[in-house]
Amino acid sequence: MPVLLELRGVTAGYGAGEVLHGVDLTLDQGEVLCLIGPNGAGKSTVLRVVSGLLRTGRGRVLLRGEPLDRLSPRERLLRGIVQVPQERSLFPAMTVWDNLLMGGYLLDGTRSGRREVRRRADALAERFPLLAERRRASAGSLSGGEQKQVELARALLLEPALMLLDEPSIGLEPRARRAVFDTVGALAADGRTILLVEQNARSGLAAADRGAVLESGRVRLTGSGAELLADPRVARLYLGAGGEPQAQQPDPHSRER
Amino acid sequence: MHETIQAIILGLLTGGVYALMASGQTLIFGVLKVVNLAQGALVILAAYLSSSLFVSFGIDPFLTVPIVAPALFLLGAAVQWCLLRPLHRSDASQLSLLVTFAVALGIEGVLTLVYKSDYRTIQPSYANRSWTVAGYRIGEVRLAACLLSLAVLGALALLLGRTRFGRAVRATVQNPTAARLLGVEGDRVAALGYGLGAATAAAAGAVYGMVYSFNPNSHYDLISRLLSIVVLGGLGSLGGTVVAALAMGVVSALVGALISPVWSDFSFFVVLLAVLLVRPQGLFGARLRGAL
Ligand SMILES: Nc1ncnc2c1ncn2[C@@H]1O[C@H](COP(=O)(O)OP(=O)(O)OP(=O)(O)O)[C@@H](O)[C@H]1O
Ligand SMILES: [Mg+2]
Repeated sequence: MPVLLELRGVTAGYGAGEVLHGVDLTLDQGEVLCLIGPNGAGKSTVLRVVSGLLRTGRGRVLLRGEPLDRLSPRERLLRGIVQVPQERSLFPAMTVWDNLLMGGYLLDGTRSGRREVRRRADALAERFPLLAERRRASAGSLSGGEQKQVELARALLLEPALMLLDEPSIGLEPRARRAVFDTVGALAADGRTILLVEQNARSGLAAADRGAVLESGRVRLTGSGAELLADPRVARLYLGAGGEPQAQQPDPHSRER
Repeated sequence: MHETIQAIILGLLTGGVYALMASGQTLIFGVLKVVNLAQGALVILAAYLSSSLFVSFGIDPFLTVPIVAPALFLLGAAVQWCLLRPLHRSDASQLSLLVTFAVALGIEGVLTLVYKSDYRTIQPSYANRSWTVAGYRIGEVRLAACLLSLAVLGALALLLGRTRFGRAVRATVQNPTAARLLGVEGDRVAALGYGLGAATAAAAGAVYGMVYSFNPNSHYDLISRLLSIVVLGGLGSLGGTVVAALAMGVVSALVGALISPVWSDFSFFVVLLAVLLVRPQGLFGARLRGAL
């Protein structure tokens, strides 16, 4: 499979502080890569550099060989990169349906574009029954797990070439968390290319073709999910004695907004 | 009783005009999360422009609105693009407060240079005419002003509720990062939003100039009322702003008529404080604070 996304020696940070100190990563077309790493390692920062919320310092981000670094988030969206951020990203006072339609904002400037957005929204509603059931509910009234499903559905409206999913299961109760991984699994089965960030290392790696470990702003290890799960360093750092201690930590962002 | 009802009528008509002025303020607050201290000055600027067009060219004050509004739209968009946008990167919301205050002082200075500081009013032939309905006096200008305000508010609500631009604005207000990730260009929305807020000041200015006398300093008085209305309405809720403006109009008119005109301005702030003690989020700013 051809390479879709490549990060070469990428540095980035906020203000004066550098958070990524040279990240190298490649993602093949149709591959699901799970990026794991401790709190504050810079996982979200990697996704922000790819989606364009954050500028690259040194190094390059390439999509199908084309450098993205000077492009705005909108221009990257036009090239098929969609990010579902870690913090809640629905518009709470809009209805579920309007939130879904906002996923097609880039397309709906023309009459034919609007028609296409409606058509895709209807198709998504068949795949995600929640969208039809809670169509007129305000997004803010949904549970955290329901909101995450709507966010994932909305991200599909542009039929993205690359999905960036930032800890989609964080802060959710077990059933909703399973639903998220089911959705990710279904997307993978469809052949979507996904860069998935997870603290829930076991479930994340299980859903992925390959994993990478980010620590202190650098990729320390890459390998298949099975290799990483079997690696004693990973086991010590992220799986702990009891399985998944990290998953129990309170989510600092879930209370936002 | 007659006096009370007369005061309520006057209060509602005045409140309608304030609703228009404050809706621009609410829009700007919603989009930029910036308290726009220049809104009062923009209204006074519009009043002067309208007055000049009326005096020099004989254009009816109401018809000056479509001329002044685009000019203020451009001014507002330019203020956001040139002065406020560069600040946002460094996340300097206090600085933007200062910048909008500086804009207000700048407008005041220019107006003082051009027009001197004498008070003036816009006096079309019908300025003092009124109808008497069932024994109650209704000023023609005030009624027309109130109707114009409602029409502009309606147009604003349609724009926000029904258009693609409106969706971009509401999305930006509710979750700026998520909006950016969906392809909404936040800077452009902010500039258009500020421009639109400033353009509502054009309609408000023409009306204000016919109902009240004004000079370049009048904006201090205006901005304090506008801020109170916006806070009372729940910071960022358009519906709340309209209700708060009407309430303010009625309360001051009632106190002015039944107690003493001396207390009429002050009474409103008493109401504001009382409401905020019970509902710190304002009348309508509940869970979805700032949702427009
Ligand atoms: N907006 C910001 N401004 C300043 N510093 C930030 C900002 N966002 C993140 N940081 C810092 O950058 C570092 C990496 O943050 P990042 O969010 O990428 O980590 P993460 O691996 O996603 O962590 P988590 O698992 O907690 O989500 C942290 O030290 C964090 O404090
Ligand atoms: Mg993160």
